[in-house]
Amino acid sequence: MIRTLNFAFIAITGFVCLGLYRIAEEARVAAADLRETHVAIVSEQDALAVLGAEWARVTQPARIAALTQRHLKLSDLPVTEFSSLTQLPEKLPPPVPEASFATVKAIAPDTKPVPPRASSTQPDADASFAVINTGT
Amino acid sequence: MDARNGATTLVKSRIGLAAGLCAAAFSIIVARLVEVMVFGASLAVTADADVARQPMRADFVDRNGVLIARDLPVSDLYVTPAAFWDTNEAARELAKATGADETRLKGLFSTKNGYVLVRRGLTPDIRDAAMRLGLPGLSFEKSYRRYYPAGRILSHAVGQVDPDDNGVSGLELGLDPIVRGSKGPLQLSFDMRVQYVLEHEMRETASEFSAKAAGGIVLDVNTGEVLALASLPNYEPNSRSTAPGDSIRNRLTQDVYELGSIFKIFAFAQAVEEKTVRLDETINIGKPLRFGRHTINDYSNHGSSLPVSMVFAESSNIGTAQIALRAGPTRQQQFLRKLGLLDGLKTELPEMASPLYPRRWNEVETVTISYGQGISVNPLAFAAAAAAVVNGGTLIRPTFVKQSAAQKGERVISEAASASMRDLMRLVVTEGTGSKADVPGYEVGGKTGTADKPVNGSYGRHLLLSSFTGVFPISKPQYLVFVMIDEPKGTKASFGFATGGWTAAPAVGRVVSRIAPLLGVRRNDTLAAANP
Repeated sequence: MIRTLNFAFIAITGFVCLGLYRIAEEARVAAADLRETHVAIVSEQDALAVLGAEWARVTQPARIAALTQRHLKLSDLPVTEFSSLTQLPEKLPPPVPEASFATVKAIAPDTKPVPPRASSTQPDADASFAVINTGT
Repeated sequence: MDARNGATTLVKSRIGLAAGLCAAAFSIIVARLVEVMVFGASLAVTADADVARQPMRADFVDRNGVLIARDLPVSDLYVTPAAFWDTNEAARELAKATGADETRLKGLFSTKNGYVLVRRGLTPDIRDAAMRLGLPGLSFEKSYRRYYPAGRILSHAVGQVDPDDNGVSGLELGLDPIVRGSKGPLQLSFDMRVQYVLEHEMRETASEFSAKAAGGIVLDVNTGEVLALASLPNYEPNSRSTAPGDSIRNRLTQDVYELGSIFKIFAFAQAVEEKTVRLDETINIGKPLRFGRHTINDYSNHGSSLPVSMVFAESSNIGTAQIALRAGPTRQQQFLRKLGLLDGLKTELPEMASPLYPRRWNEVETVTISYGQGISVNPLAFAAAAAAVVNGGTLIRPTFVKQSAAQKGERVISEAASASMRDLMRLVVTEGTGSKADVPGYEVGGKTGTADKPVNGSYGRHLLLSSFTGVFPISKPQYLVFVMIDEPKGTKASFGFATGGWTAAPAVGRVVSRIAPLLGVRRNDTLAAANP
C-alpha cells in the first residue's frame, strides 16, 4: 500500500514539476510578449502625440485664415448677420388673401395649360406674380 | 518484538513527517495559485497602468482643449568614436545627416575614447537618416522636446523651456511645479480663436499706424481669466533663437507705462463712489489749471464748461483734475492701492513689473495721476483694476488657468457706483471720444487714452502711447478688451491723428465684432436697430 502511494506521489510530483515548468515557460514568453506590447503601445502613444501636435499646427486659426485668403474668396461675416433662434419672429407671415387668388384667376382663367412659348408670353406670367405680391 | 515495534513507530513517524512536509508544500502551491487566480486580475491592471509615455511636462491646452504646448519624443545621439574606422569621415557624414558642427565632431572624435554627444533633440526623420549611414557605435537615447503648435501666436504668455525641459519663462516657468511630472493636460484660460483675432488685429493696427509696438488683452471681468494676451513684436518659441525685429519682452506684464486718460476711469470711480460729484453737475473747463510751473490743458477745446458725464466722455484733463482734487492726495492714493495699482500684481506669470509712482504725492501729483501721467503701471494690472470698476465693484486677480466660477474678491466700489461707471463708459462710445469702438448690438463701453511718452525725463510731443479699454456688453459686462499702440503715426485716413480714439478704439471695435459671436455673446437687436 505504502509502495503504491509512494509511486503515486512520485508520479504526481513529476507531473506537477512538468506542469510548473510549462507554466513558468509560458509565463516567460507571455512576459516577453507583454514587454514588446508595452514598447509598441508607448511607440503608438508617441506617434499619436506627434500627430496631435501636427493636427494642432495645421488647424490653427492663423494658418486656416491664410489659406482661406489665398484660395477662397471669403470675407468675415458681419456681426449684423448673427442672431439667435429666440430672436426670430414667432409667427409665420399672414396667409395670402383669397382675393389675390381671385385676381390671379381673372388674369389667367381656367384654361388648359399652355405649353411654354416664345418670350412674348413671359410678361403675363410676371404680371401674375406681381399681383400676388401686391396682395400680400 | 520491542525492537520491531520501535522500528515501525520510527518509520511511521518519518512517513508522517514526510507527508506533513508534502502537505505544507502543496498548501503553499495552492495558496500561491489562489493568489494568482483571485488577485491576478488586479496585478495585471497594475502592470497595464504603467504602460504610458512619460514626458517630463504635461501638455498645455486652451480652454476648449486645443493644444498649446506638448513634449514630443526626440532622440539624443551619442557615439563611441573608438568604433569608427575613419573618424573624419564619420564626423563629416554625421554632421551632414544631423546638422551638427563638423569641426566640433572632428575634435571630439579625435581622442577615440569616451562617449560623445553628437546632437540632442533629433526628430524621427533625422534619426532615421543617421541610422541609414550604417556607422557602428551609434546610440540613440530617447528624450522629449517641447513643441508649440501655434508658434508666435502665444509666445510671450506661454514662455519657453531650456534644453533639459525646465521652464525658463512665461507660464512654463510660473506653472513649472504643476506641469512637471503631471500626466493630464493643464487647461489654461486662453481661447486660441480669440488669441488669433487679437494678435491679427494688433498686427494690422500696428502696421497701419507704423507703430513701434502694440499689445492687447482680453479679460473675463467676472472670473479674471485672461482669454488672450498679445504683445508685438513677438518671437518664434520653437526656434529657440530670436530673429531681427523679434522681442522676447512681454510689454503687457514686464513693462510699466503712463497710460494716460484711461486712468480717468479710476478718478471718476472714486468720485462717484465717494459722492464728491453729481453726474449732472457742471464743471468749468474754460481756463487751463496752473500749479506752480505746471499748466494743465485739454487736448482739444470743449468750451467753457461741461457736465461731469461729458467731462469723462470728452476726456477733459482740466475737468478731471478738479474732480480728483476733491478727493485729495491721501484718499486718491488709498483708492488706487485698494484697486491693486500701487502694489505688484501676482499671477501665474512670473514676469510682472511693479508700478512706479511718486514718493511725494501732493496736489500736482493728484492732478497728473488723475489723467494717467506721473504713474506707471503694467497694462495687465490696469485691466484688472478696470474690470473691478465695471463688474459690480469687486476686485479680481487675473489668472491664466481656466476657472469654473466667478471670483469673489474684495469689494472696492458699490454696485451703484459700478453701474454709474458703466453708463459713463457707454457715453464715451455713444457721445464721446471712443465712437469708433462701437459695434451695433454689442453695447461697447470704454475709455480712450493718449499718453505722452517720457523721453530722457521730458515728454516728447509726438511720441504717444494710444490706448482704448473696451467692455462689452456694458449693461452686464462679460469681457474687457484692452489695446495699446506704442508710438503710432497719424495717417491720411485718420486726418493725421494718432490718439486712442483714432487708433486703438477702432481696433477694439474690430476685435469685439469678431470675438463676441465666438464667445456666445448675444446681440441686442433693439440696440442694433437704433444704432445700425
